[in-house]
Amino acid sequence: MNEIMNNQSSTAAALRDNAQVAEALGRSYSAGFITEIEMTGLPPGLDEDTIRALSAVKHEPEWMTEWRLEAYRHWLTMPKPDWAKLNIDPIDYQAISYYAAPKKQPKSLDEVDPALLETYEKLGVPLHERAALAGVAVDAVFDSVSVGTTFRKQLADAGVLFCSMSEAIREYPELVQKYLGSVVPTGDNFFAALNSAVFSDGSFVFIPKGVRCPMELSTYFRINAQNTGQFERTLIVAEEGAHVSYLEGCTAPKRDENQLHAAVVELVALEKAQIKYSTVQNWYPGDENGVGGIYNFVTKRGDCRGDDSKICWTQVETGSAITWKYPSVVLRGDRSVGEFYSVALTHHFQQADTGTKMVHLGKDTKSKIVSKGISAGKSSNSYRGLVKMEKGAERARNYTQCDSLLIGKKCGAHTFPYMEVKNPTAIVEHEATTSKISDEQMFYCRSRGIGEEDAVSMIVDGFCKQVFRELPMEFAVEAKKLLEVSLEGAVG
Amino acid sequence: MNPSASTPLVASLLDAPPSASGIAWLDEARREHRAAFAAGGLPGARVEAWKYTALRGLTQRRFAAGDATAATRDVDAAAFALPGVDGPRLVFVNGVFRADLSTAAALPDGLSLQPLSQALRNDAEPLRFALSRPALVGPVREAADAFVQVNAASATDGVVLKVAAHASIAAPVQLVFVGAAADAELAWHARNLIELGEGASLELIEHHVGSGEQAQLATLVGDVVLHEGAQLHHVVLQNAASGANLIRRSGLRLHARAQLRLHVLELGGALVRHDLQAELVGDGAQLHTRGAFMPHGRQHVDTQLAIRHQALDTASTSVWRGVASDRARGVFRGAILVAPGADGSDASLNNKNLLLSPGAEIDTKPELEIYADEVQAAHGATVGQLDERSLFYLRSRGIPLAEARALLTAAFCRAVLDDLPNAALREHLSGLLIAQLPA
Repeated sequence: MNEIMNNQSSTAAALRDNAQVAEALGRSYSAGFITEIEMTGLPPGLDEDTIRALSAVKHEPEWMTEWRLEAYRHWLTMPKPDWAKLNIDPIDYQAISYYAAPKKQPKSLDEVDPALLETYEKLGVPLHERAALAGVAVDAVFDSVSVGTTFRKQLADAGVLFCSMSEAIREYPELVQKYLGSVVPTGDNFFAALNSAVFSDGSFVFIPKGVRCPMELSTYFRINAQNTGQFERTLIVAEEGAHVSYLEGCTAPKRDENQLHAAVVELVALEKAQIKYSTVQNWYPGDENGVGGIYNFVTKRGDCRGDDSKICWTQVETGSAITWKYPSVVLRGDRSVGEFYSVALTHHFQQADTGTKMVHLGKDTKSKIVSKGISAGKSSNSYRGLVKMEKGAERARNYTQCDSLLIGKKCGAHTFPYMEVKNPTAIVEHEATTSKISDEQMFYCRSRGIGEEDAVSMIVDGFCKQVFRELPMEFAVEAKKLLEVSLEGAVG
Repeated sequence: MNPSASTPLVASLLDAPPSASGIAWLDEARREHRAAFAAGGLPGARVEAWKYTALRGLTQRRFAAGDATAATRDVDAAAFALPGVDGPRLVFVNGVFRADLSTAAALPDGLSLQPLSQALRNDAEPLRFALSRPALVGPVREAADAFVQVNAASATDGVVLKVAAHASIAAPVQLVFVGAAADAELAWHARNLIELGEGASLELIEHHVGSGEQAQLATLVGDVVLHEGAQLHHVVLQNAASGANLIRRSGLRLHARAQLRLHVLELGGALVRHDLQAELVGDGAQLHTRGAFMPHGRQHVDTQLAIRHQALDTASTSVWRGVASDRARGVFRGAILVAPGADGSDASLNNKNLLLSPGAEIDTKPELEIYADEVQAAHGATVGQLDERSLFYLRSRGIPLAEARALLTAAFCRAVLDDLPNAALREHLSGLLIAQLPA
């Protein structure tokens, strides 16, 4: 009898535990819901007709269609890259739908489907201008298309163009033609070529000469539909003396199959211009057994084309099953500055191979790289970077710091920095460390009554501080929370 | 088939009939290695391990196999006399053992030292395991290790050195490889097998010298195995002739509590490549590598260091310095891998480089690959110039600029020799290093 009682109580305890675990897991990816909304799109499959159809749906001019087709033909000849430290299941490019959009195409924000608005509300992205607190202009991209851009009037008054890429191709073809593909050419790499062929939407930003963008610009990417890939294309051009800060956020529902996200982001900074690009990447990472999740294969590159220009990439990467991403800066103008601040966290079966390239061409150019990698569970987290000092990079300077933190015995943390120096007046410095959270640090926190998870979270927060400092305020808060949630269950 | 397989270089390396030893298993193994090389060809620029070392300059050349008159070739013995090194010596000229130049008659107790050719004649069986594969220690990758395959197919001589368990050999052993100018541009090969028994200790000097500007291609593959508690001081002085294309691979395997100190000085040669594959397979093994490369003129010096921590509480430290001037190129890769379960590993690597001329280039790539969490691992790498403030300090004390530069550059490189125990040799190497510095 006693035995039965004990059994019952232990079952009850197990149930309670399970409920807690389930709750924790539910919390762990809060953006995993699916929005039921009527969708229209192209059937899965990829050939020249798909691209022509896509281009036609978007009412694109002839040159754009040709540009896409050229990229597609080039893509067909390219081998899939296999150099990254990633295990990627083969991707069936014919099983992906290259275009998915909400059926009702809104003319203005007021006409946006309430279900969609609710989606962004749930995600904490204020689409309605009256709901916007601190004045961040948002372009929301849902699957393949932009569903709305806020604060357009205020921006237009300042002379800033901020709209979806589809709109820009129609409204400002000469600007798009001039800059699109000028930083990341169509044949740059396998995924960039694919993106050039099939990109559906994205954001376009143009800050004219001397203008400081009056507010932070933001794009929120959401993958919703099943079997779709999201291929967005972002182009930001800052003319002479212009300043802009741009934020990017992303989420996707929980699904069991892997979904492909292959974006291209191009930044152009002319003389004395400054671009700050911040990303909080929270694509669905897959579950604790490594099932599902987004393949995030992204090409991001900035071109400091003018003298005294500056481009700064800041990224917090917590999502995606696989991340393959190297935001880079080409320091062409004299005295131009490139910066890269990154926190990449992997848990469960996530894999990340991320880093940056700093290519110094101009005189007195400077770059700084701060990368913090955190690996937990059975994940693999690699920093891969290149610092290149070309012959003309007189007195160029680079400083790189890469630190890795290991939480658990089954994860991996790797560092692969390349340094190529051809100028005898240039200076390159690289430092990297790998360690786990020290027992001393944990003991100190625990002896002061701080629970294990809180202690880990505090220590990780301190480890990442150098990067969080670079994030705009709203993002810094979100990033901190994301890390906490992502690390849940990593200890013990 | 690899496109490089049809280049004159590959053809000339395959031209030579596979050397017949009369030992069936060895001839069979050589045929296999030769076939593997023929299939894989030479590594192109897309092979990651050869990213910064292009073989373009070599692929159009033909090298004659071996030196038929190596046994009688005149060699200046003064070229390999070293202070502080007066123990047994084996000398190889263009890959052929020269008894007349060697001093290995009276060996201390516990030391067995003989040329590979002789060891094969006496009793080949103990060498079967090692020679049946291209290399004993570390991975042999297709294409990336093409020269290891060439060596395995073609080397007929080299060193077989064994130290018996608990034997402590006081006198340093010197291995000399001479690349001597011949009638034709030569290719020669040497295969070395070195083993220290449990608790044994040895000081070993590997010395590469040469004469003449004639182009040569030499491959050397060496495996060093240190059993439990063994200690080895290994010094490599590479002062090959200016026409030498010297491609070396060293495999180092350290069992429990074994300690290996390695000092490498890369001074000579035209194209120099050194692959160092180290495995710390026993608990508490320790590896300390120090090295300097100072390419000048149009030299190309590439060091590829890979250290794998595979057991508990292993430690490795690496300090490497590079100085590139004129139109020379220095390449360094320092990879540290900590395998799953190798808790308590402590690894550090530091590579600093000076780039002195507008035509020179340094490419460096430190790597960490960590699969265990009870680990301390760190690396640092820099490329730059002499510290302006230090220069200013010296000049403010009346030292002319050129001299101040020389002093600081010498100090920069000397760091790698500081812990070399053989004082006389250390001073000599330090002198060579300073003499090599650009004026």
